[in-house]
Parts: sequence; structure tokens; C-alpha cells
Amino acid sequence: MMKTVLGVTVAATLALPALAQERGGTLNFARYDGSRLIDPIYADRNPDIWMVGSLFDTLLRGSADGNSVEPGLAESFSVSDDGKTVSMTLREGVLFADGSAMSGDDVVFSLDRARNPDLSPWAGLLGSIDTVSADGTAITIALKSPDPTILSMLATFNTAIVSKAAFEAATGETDQDKSAAIFAAKTAGVGSGPFYLCGFEQGASMDFCANENYWRMGADGEPLPYLDGVHFEIIPDDATRILSLQAGEVDAAEFIPFSRVSELDADPNIDMQLYPSTRIIYSPINTRETRADGSPNPLADARVRQALNYGTNKEALIGLVLHGAGQPMSSPLMAKATQYADDLSPLYAYDMEKAKALMSEAGVGEGTQITFTTLAGSADDATIFAALQQMWAPLGIDLEVEQVDGATRGAKNRSGEFDIHTYGWVNDVNDPSQVVGWLGHTPTAKAVGTGWENAEFNTLFDGAAAEMDPEARKDMFAKMQALYADAAPLLFMYETPFAVALGNAVEGYVQTPLGNNIFEEATVSR
Amino acid sequence: MSDAVFTPSPPSRIRLALRKPGFVAGLLIIGFSLMLALFPGGFAPYDPNAIDYLAVRQPPSWAHPFGTDLLGRDSLSRVIWAYQVNMQMAVLATVFALVIGVVVGALVGYYRGIADLIFGRVVDAVITFPFLVLVIAVVAVLGPGLVNMYIAITLVGWVYYARLMRAEVIAQMGNDYAAAGIVMGYSDRRIIFRHLLPNAITPVIVYWMTDMALAILLGSSLGYLGLGAQPPQSEWGVLIAEGRNFISTAWWLSLMPGIAIVLTGLGFSLLGDGLADLLRPRG
Amino acid sequence: MSSLFYILKRFLMMIPTFFLVMIIIFLLVRLLPGDPAIAMAGDRASDADIQAIRERLGLTEPMLVQFWLFLTNTVQGDLGRSILMRTDVIDVIADRLPITVFLTVYSVALSLLIAGPLAFVAALNRGRWPDAVIRTVFQIGLSMPVFYIGLVLLTFLAAQLRLFPVGGYGDTFGDRLYHLFLPSITVALYTSAIIMRNLRSAIIEVLDAEYVQFARAKGLPPRLILGRHVLRNALISTVTLLGLSIGNLMSGTLVTETVFAVPGMGRLMLEAIFARDYPLIQGLTLTFAVLVSFVFLMTDLFQSRLDPRMRLQ
Repeated sequence: MMKTVLGVTVAATLALPALAQERGGTLNFARYDGSRLIDPIYADRNPDIWMVGSLFDTLLRGSADGNSVEPGLAESFSVSDDGKTVSMTLREGVLFADGSAMSGDDVVFSLDRARNPDLSPWAGLLGSIDTVSADGTAITIALKSPDPTILSMLATFNTAIVSKAAFEAATGETDQDKSAAIFAAKTAGVGSGPFYLCGFEQGASMDFCANENYWRMGADGEPLPYLDGVHFEIIPDDATRILSLQAGEVDAAEFIPFSRVSELDADPNIDMQLYPSTRIIYSPINTRETRADGSPNPLADARVRQALNYGTNKEALIGLVLHGAGQPMSSPLMAKATQYADDLSPLYAYDMEKAKALMSEAGVGEGTQITFTTLAGSADDATIFAALQQMWAPLGIDLEVEQVDGATRGAKNRSGEFDIHTYGWVNDVNDPSQVVGWLGHTPTAKAVGTGWENAEFNTLFDGAAAEMDPEARKDMFAKMQALYADAAPLLFMYETPFAVALGNAVEGYVQTPLGNNIFEEATVSR
Repeated sequence: MSDAVFTPSPPSRIRLALRKPGFVAGLLIIGFSLMLALFPGGFAPYDPNAIDYLAVRQPPSWAHPFGTDLLGRDSLSRVIWAYQVNMQMAVLATVFALVIGVVVGALVGYYRGIADLIFGRVVDAVITFPFLVLVIAVVAVLGPGLVNMYIAITLVGWVYYARLMRAEVIAQMGNDYAAAGIVMGYSDRRIIFRHLLPNAITPVIVYWMTDMALAILLGSSLGYLGLGAQPPQSEWGVLIAEGRNFISTAWWLSLMPGIAIVLTGLGFSLLGDGLADLLRPRG
Repeated sequence: MSSLFYILKRFLMMIPTFFLVMIIIFLLVRLLPGDPAIAMAGDRASDADIQAIRERLGLTEPMLVQFWLFLTNTVQGDLGRSILMRTDVIDVIADRLPITVFLTVYSVALSLLIAGPLAFVAALNRGRWPDAVIRTVFQIGLSMPVFYIGLVLLTFLAAQLRLFPVGGYGDTFGDRLYHLFLPSITVALYTSAIIMRNLRSAIIEVLDAEYVQFARAKGLPPRLILGRHVLRNALISTVTLLGLSIGNLMSGTLVTETVFAVPGMGRLMLEAIFARDYPLIQGLTLTFAVLVSFVFLMTDLFQSRLDPRMRLQ
């Protein structure tokens, strides 16, 4: 017998169009950074990744709470009992934006491309796939070994479906050249998402136009999207981006600094939205016995790292940096919204006495110098530093700052040439394995560069990667979280929402917990 | 005048200069700025780094004449302590460039020849290079911070002094006393440093005054980009950058350090104009 | 010496200059911590991925080989492919250059409009109150940080009074004049202060010069003196100043472009540095150098036309 999850008919299509649905118009959206290449497999920066879903569709879609999947281009799907075969049936009559019909060949082509390690930086996420085959609308994915994350992966941007014919027809010799040529062509091209790219000026602006062939239906029984298009302006400066919204030149501005949220919330012309996210802000602590320069590292002692965590007043930090728009991390490894997140709160509740006791137990004395590496030009990082310097002074810590740019910080994380530095994370996949691998699994990324290594943790992680029973898997993740919390390779800080300011004309825009910008059901009334 | 080291008769010139309100104002502003820079603790009412979570972004009041900042620190105290950093910036970012530039410019201007030719190429290369880019790149290589910023600015800035000095020395060489010095068999060193340099240095000193004001501006631009002064050090550019999101709601955050920058710049410039009058050879 | 010969000589002298610029920028970008592979692969890529990217980008070749490639390709007009933008550096620059040039020329024009007349007023009233007021006001303009003044203008003139747009840079010429007015005036506040100072002292110098004193004594009408001697001298000194500061002007747009969201060369350079996009940084720097050298040459030629005393040498 097979566990089958049947496709649910889109409820909206049954609803009577009682009210006239707002349609048409272009939404003007101010972004902090521009996309460079929106292709499912080459998207490697958030401004690219978060737009893939607007131009391309995946076989499955993440549910609203992010903890399960729903039918997408596949109208039904099932996983075999041994966990080694995924069978899906493609939705009939789906067209690409250029009007051509989607077939099983496109699915095979797209998934083969996505799991080709020579092409995609994300291929590792699909390592369990052995073969992908299509027979008419029936798609079969054979796995080398059971993979509990496979359904989530089929709802992730990198497995989005591209048109084989259109892609192969593009000019260019290599796959990457073809992808770049398609992007540069700015025509209704290879995707079947609600929009297609119809305008692009590098570093300045970008336009999406409605895909008239989109398969999902709106509340009025007509195809989505409601908008004619979306126009993006790139305005890197926070203050200017907000001014642009206040002047009515754009309808929405993303990445509002938290210090301005309450002010904009009070503005009657602005609808200030805080979308729940999987974003966590934390600081990796170097756990190696010696620093890069060979000197002994006081942070190698877990008690010192615990002391720093106890000595950090997270509520005060949230008040100063986020002006209250956030919450302390409650799981040491992931945001609350992530599947299997344990609620260990309060996680290292502020306790100066305990912190002092741990410090003296560890024998770390007055005047210990620690360098805190921050991102140059980041107001948040500067505030965090100033606050931590003051908070940790009673522990005898002389905190110094080192401001660097992003590339330097990345290089330092890799080489281990840091004591503590600021960092952040947003999940790309609806599954905890990605973030847990990043933060704690030593072979993946040296436990986010901290050098922390725990054999039990690594074994649990490898085991969870093949565990098909959700309860047993949840249990493994719980154990990893307990281990990690105790070892404290991070300064556990806080979770923040996505702050987006909308003009009153805008309805229905959503940013998902993974950060994806969803314009499908957005409307703008002029 | 054979051995004409240019010596203005000091008392009358200074008295004359002190009658000029601009020069006096410049002296007063820079004098007071130096006082603040040397003894910030004596003027600042609070510890500039004392955080008060409960009193953030308070508008100006009797207790906090310039209000409080994002962390509840007293803005007036932060602006005053920034004098220390910014005045240091004005001096240290320029003085080495001045010394190196004057020496190189004088030597190249005096000897000319192949050294001058190479110097010309170096000058061209440096001034055709986008200045801010060079400074940003050097700071990124060395790591952010004030000292590295001084190094970066000096690496580029000396060229401007040297070019100015070279031109002045060449012009002075045409004068009688230089020729006389050569005829009288003085050593090169004596001619360059005792005769040519004192006469040629006036425009360089005047340029230096302007350059100090520019150094503060450049330093604050780098502070704004996070490449200059390091937190919690307060620096005007950083203070303005911190307040820039609140121009309409908490204007005092950016306005007060802005006024400090403008005032100091004005001081240096008035001083420069006054000095130009004071040092201009009478002819 | 014919001016054609002079121009040829100047071009020859540019060769070592450009060579020096290329060496400096080539070494400087490679001294930056991190490299394009790390910046490109992102924080999450494995060390093996990064090594693969390095090889693909040719970063594992010996330095001398890399420099030789850079040199020979550049001579053939090939600036390489931008790692960040995934297109040819030449194309990226061709996109952005006109915007920065427009911004620079626009702000210089505004500066001249502001500084010119006021410099005359100040010089003719030397030492009296109009002189003091004008100089003080310009001095304030000179001391204001661009990122602050730009934001103040945006907040009040654009967002509150809605006199100007906050963002965008326009499509047509007229549109562009309107859209880029605020960023240009922001730069002009600074530039005009420098021009005003220079112009004022140039005018004073001429007024004090013996031949002008003589002309005055002879009873020539002041308007004639102004027109014949003062204007020409003022023009020469202003052109010289603008020519010399063109490099600073253009690289100064870096901050302005960020504040006003103008997609020009300055902002591109900042992005390129952050992404360690070696080919793009190198290409942008060379473009700057070529432009600035060109302006220097034009300045010299212009000077020699206007001022017969300044012979080309």
C-alpha cells in the first residue's frame, strides 16, 4: 500500500465571485539590493533566490505554516513505503509563459539540471536522487536511499521547472551562458510562474509582467496574478527607500530598519508589516584551542561561552537593536518557525551571577581581550557591539571591535581568524536539516566556522538524514538541540521578522518565512 | 638682498592680522576646538559611552542639551568627545603628507632631471586614480581603523603637497637670491632648506589648512561607510550616520555633529585665509 | 612646436602612467582579504567548491601570468568578464558611464551658475559685508558631509514638499535634468564653494595687477576692464581647477549615488569592491584613469588657446 496525499482542489475556485476582485495595475516595489540572475539552479544570493518563485513553479508548494507541502505543478504525489520512490502526477494543461505546454520531459530536464554538481551549487541538497523518469504525466523519482527531506526539496526554488525546449534553444555554449542569455532576453521565456521577466536594468530596476497562461485561479475564478506587473526599484540606502515610499513613488519598501518600524506603524498612509521569518541572528564563537595567531583561546572553554551567553541581556539587545520587533532565540539551532524547533526558552536567560561564577570556574580573569568582528557600515552591528562591550565588562572582558566588509568576514569565518563575529541565517528549505548542518555538523561547514566538533552530534545528524519516521527524526533533532545548547558554540541572540512597509493601496503581498517575495495574489488599488 | 631669508617684521604683521575679524574668528574656533579635543572630559557633562536603555532618543532638554542617542547616550558628550577623534584626524591625516610632500617636492623641484620625470609619472598615476577608491581599497587591505585610514590618506595625499611645492620651488629658483646662493657656493642642502623652502612654503601652508577641513570630511565619509573610527569611539561622521534615519523624527542626532563639522571647517578655512595674508611676501 | 606633435607626445607619456595605474590596481585588489571565489560562492559553499571556482576564474595561475593576461587583453580592448554581473565589463561600464558623466557635468554646470556671479560680487566688494556673507555661506557648503546634506534635501524637498522625485534617474534628457537635480545640487554645493574661492582670488589678482591698475588710471570703463582682462583670467583659472579636480569629482559621486539610488559608476565600484570582482574593479579604475587623462589633456589645450603666455611644452 502506498501512503497517498491527494491533491486538494484550490478552494478559491469554488468560491463565488461575490465581490469584484481588484485586478490590474503595476505594483512599484523598492528593494535593498537587485537580482543578478534569476535561474533556479544559479540563484545563490537572497535577492535572486527569493524571486525564483515569481518566475518559476515547483512541483510542490510549501504550506502556509511552512511545515508541510501541498500540490503544485504536480497535482498529486506519494512516497513508497520503503521511502525510495516518489511518484507524482503532473497537472494537466499547464503552459509555460511563452504558451508552450509543460510535459514530463521538462521535469526530467529540470531535475537533472538541478542535481548536476557541475552546474548547481545546490546539487548537494538532491544527493539522494538516483534517477528521474517521466511517462506521460506520471513522474517517478527513484532514490538511492530513503530521504525524509525529498518532498521539501521538491517545493524548494532550486527544483523549479524550466522549459527544456526554450532553454536548449537559447544561444550560448554552456548551460550558464544559455541561462544568462535567457535572462538577458527579457521575454516570456522558460518559466511557468505567475510572472515573467520583461525588463531589467542591472543595478537599477527590474520588471515582472503577468503570465497570462498561469494555472492557478484567483478568487474571481480567473487566472492569477491579479496584477499586470511588478516594477522593482533598487534603493540601497534605508532612509532613501523609506522616503521613496513616503513620497508615494513606490507602493512598498522592504528591509525597513527596525528602529523605524514604530514610526511607520503610526503613519496612517503606511501599512507596516512584520512577516514571520526563519531568520536568526547569532554570533559564531571560535572554539579552537588556539587562535589563528597561535595564542591560547579563552573561548575554547565551553564554560566561558556559556558565561557570555548568560551575561548577554537579550531583551535589552532586542530593545536596542530591534526596538522590540523580535524575540530571543528559543532553539539554539533554528528559528521557532522551523520544523522540529524545540522551545528551550528561556535559552540562557540573563543571569550575571551565574555568568561570573562560570568565568571564575573557568579561571578566566580580568582583562581578557576578545575581538568582536562586525560588518562595516551596519548600524545594527555597531549597536550590538556597544551593548555587548558594556554587558560583558563586569565579566572582566575587554571587548574590542573589528569592522570588516562581508567578503572579509566570510574569509575570516572560513580560516578561523576571529574570536566572535556577527552572522545571520534564513532557511532556504522547509526542513531543519539545512540550518542544523550549517550550524552544527562539522563536515558541512566546521560548525559555522567555529571549529566545534561533537561526535555524538555528527552521528545524530547523519542518522536523521535517513530517518523516515517523523517522530524518531524529531527526537534526533531534539537531542542535537540539547547538545548544542549546552556546548554553546554560538552567542545565541534573536529572531527577527521581515519588516516590509506597504502603501495603503497594496493588499495580498506576502513574504514567506523563507524570505520568498510572493506577488501572486497581491493587488494595488489606484 | 643676497641672503634673503624671507622674514616678515613679526609684530606689525600679526597686529595687522589680528585686526581682521575673519582671522580672529578662525583662531578662536580652532583654539576652542583644540581645547575640547585636548580636554574633552573637562567639558563633557556625561560619560560618552554610558548606555541608558530607558532613555533612548530623548529630545534636547536641560539635562541633555543635545538630547540622547539610539543607546541613550548623551549626545552633547558624544559630540564633545568626537572633537578628540576629529581634530586628531585633521592633523594626523595631513601632517605626514605635508612633510613628505614638502621634502619630495622641494628636492624634485630643485634637481629636476630623471627624478622629476619619474615623479611626474607617479603624480599622474595617483591623480588619475579615483581618490576615494584608492583610500577605500587601502583601508580594506590594512583593515579599518583610524591609523590605517591615516596611512591610506597619506599614501595618496602627499602627491598634492609635493606637486604644489615643486611648482613653487621652480618659481623661486628664478629669483635672484637662489641664483646668488648658487654663485656664492652654498651647499644644495642650505639652498633648499634655508632659502627656497621658507619662501615657497606659504601656499602649501594655506593649502594645508583647507586640507585639514577636507580630512575631517573624508574621515567622516569613511566613518559613514564603517571604514574610519571604530565604535564606540564617537566621530562626527559616525554620529551623523547614526542619526540619518531620524532626520524628521530625531533631528538633533545628526544636526549637532553636522554643526560641529561645519564650524570646524569654517575655522580652518578662516585661519587659512588669515595666514595667507599674514605670510604673503610684501612686494 | 605644433599642437599635433604636443598631443602625440602627451599620448606617449600616458603609456607609463596607465601602466603604473594597472600595476597598482592589479596588486591592490589581490591584497584585499578574501577573493572573488569566496564572495561569489557565498558563505555556505564548501572549500572544494571555492577551489573549483578559483580555477575556473584563473585565479590559481601565477601572478605574473595573470598580470600578463590582464595587460594583453586590455591592450586589445578586452576588459574581461564581470564576476558579479556575469557580463562583459565593457558592457557594464557602457551602461553606467553615461549616468555618472551626466551627473558630473550637470553638477559642474550648476556649480558654475551658482559660483560665477557670486564670485564677482564677492571680489568687487572685497572686505565688505557681501564678501563676508558669500564666503561664509559657501564655506558652510564646503564643510557639509554629502551623505547628510543629500538626505536633508531628500527629506524636505522631495518627500515632504514633493518638489522633486526621490528616486530614479529619468529616460529623456529633460526628465533626467529633473530627476538628477537633487543629487547634482548636492555635489554642486561642494564644488561651487571651491570654484567660488578660486574664482574670487583670481579676479582679485587681476584687479590688483599693474596693467589693470594702469588701465583704470587711464580711465578705461570698468566694464571693459572686467570683460577683457578679468573674465579671461577667471576662465583660465576655473578651467584649470575643474580639470585638476575632475578625478575627485567623479569618484566623489560614489557616496552621492548611494544616497540617491543613482546607478552610476561610483556605486558600481563600491559593489565591485565588496564582491571582490577583480575584472570589474580593474576595468572601472582604468576607465576613470582614461577619462581623467583625457580631461587633463583638454584642459591643457584649452589653456594654451586662451592664454598665449602659456605655451605648450
